[in-house]
Amino acid sequence: MKGGAKVVVEKHRHEGIFVARGKEDALVTKNLVPGDSVYGEKRISVDEADGGKTEYRVWNPFRSKVAAGILGGLDNVHIKPGTKLLYLGGASGTTVSHCSDIVGPNGLVYAVEFSHRSGRDLVNMAKKRTNVIPIIEDARHPQKYRMLVGMVDTIFADVAQPDQARIVALNAQYFLKQGGNFIVSIKSSCIDSTAAPEAVFAREVKKLQEDGFKPKEQLTLEPYERDHAIVVGAYRVSKDKK
Amino acid sequence: MSSSLRNAIKRTTHKERSQPADRTRLGLLEKHKDYVLRAKDFHKKEDAIKVLKRKAAERNPDEFYFAMEKKKTRDGVHEERTTEQNKYTEEELKLMKTQDLRYVSLKAQTELKRVQKMKETLHCLGAGIEERKHTIFVDEYSEAKTFKPETYFDTPRELIGRAFNRPKNSQLEDADQLVGVGANEIDYDEEELRKQQERRLKKVAKLNRGAYKMLNEHEERAEQLKSMTVKMALQKEISHGKGVKKKITKKNKDGTVESYFVWKQIRKR
Repeated sequence: MKGGAKVVVEKHRHEGIFVARGKEDALVTKNLVPGDSVYGEKRISVDEADGGKTEYRVWNPFRSKVAAGILGGLDNVHIKPGTKLLYLGGASGTTVSHCSDIVGPNGLVYAVEFSHRSGRDLVNMAKKRTNVIPIIEDARHPQKYRMLVGMVDTIFADVAQPDQARIVALNAQYFLKQGGNFIVSIKSSCIDSTAAPEAVFAREVKKLQEDGFKPKEQLTLEPYERDHAIVVGAYRVSKDKK
Repeated sequence: MSSSLRNAIKRTTHKERSQPADRTRLGLLEKHKDYVLRAKDFHKKEDAIKVLKRKAAERNPDEFYFAMEKKKTRDGVHEERTTEQNKYTEEELKLMKTQDLRYVSLKAQTELKRVQKMKETLHCLGAGIEERKHTIFVDEYSEAKTFKPETYFDTPRELIGRAFNRPKNSQLEDADQLVGVGANEIDYDEEELRKQQERRLKKVAKLNRGAYKMLNEHEERAEQLKSMTVKMALQKEISHGKGVKKKITKKNKDGTVESYFVWKQIRKR
């Protein structure tokens, strides 16, 4: 026997996502651009059964709400190979880069970010990843970037604004296909710092329901974040299909 | 002959022998130098005991000591001092006495950074399942009543608690669910391959345990150092801080004594 593997990679419930176990114990995605780290994250190289090598990038749940949600046990994240995703609140593109790993060359990630400073990192990242389209605009005004974005399968929002539900609804009206899905990350202190987190989550879910969204599950993000929740669901579901 | 001339003649130096070969099992042979040290130490202790014995013998039970003013008995039993003893651990005391606040806070920072660095690749999979709340929304009340997590998540019942990855039933039959367990040696037969995979999984699990143990140790140390900096900063403020302060001692319901300082408020210009 040779030196032997120091790490074993397990396929995750969600397609395109993996779990690496060994000296690391980490959520990983298959690197779309092998040999390249986006934000200084660790890369793990694993021997395949056919003798080849695959490179994975570690996805830190302490920094990414989606990763925290996946490790928390969401039933479905609606991001898989081939998905067209609209990502509101892309920031520096750390999570966006992992989404781009997951959707692969056949999918697309439209990443919207308002701040020019973090938008610069986002644009630099998109230079190497052709399936990412960076948009430096305010997500409150989807009409400004309507010419850039086509119909999408999933909307992810992490904008940490009090009117987050309205922002998501506006974008969904423009870009989300009928029966498409949404994932919203809610930071309770950003919406109402005086109310109890549970009450804030319930209120946000209510708002989403009024805008034609149909929430399917809600998950709090302990131990990675405090007073955060992720809500996943569908948009404009036709009555007969459900 | 003058002494300087006597010193000019080289004399043979006195040598002490070392332990003979056949007695090496007894360890190093004690030299005079060592004996002197040992004897001095012994006599010092002997003298101390002698002094204590004399004091005890000559003690006058009617004599007054100032410490008596504060001593108490309860039901005829001597009561211990009420001030909190062993407030700091041995280790903490040593640190406080030898190092200054800035050094300790620097160390605390370094330790915290190290923990964060380790957590980048150690994601505490499987942790926090008690604090987390997963809500599933259903359409009808009856659906909620008959809700079964294993059917909803489409996974075996025993994997429901494994929140970080609940493979679907269809995935479990998949042969290449695991990557990197070493199936590339084609000249092995089925049995040998299975054994090899088991060995590798065992090894990986061991590595995993080791990594978490290390993380745990660093986390503990980081926490300890942090609490130390807080305590030391308070001590410094009490002994060197400016302004008029008052010590307030409060007795809690559970009998523990809590004390803190309140500084007099001064209007800042």
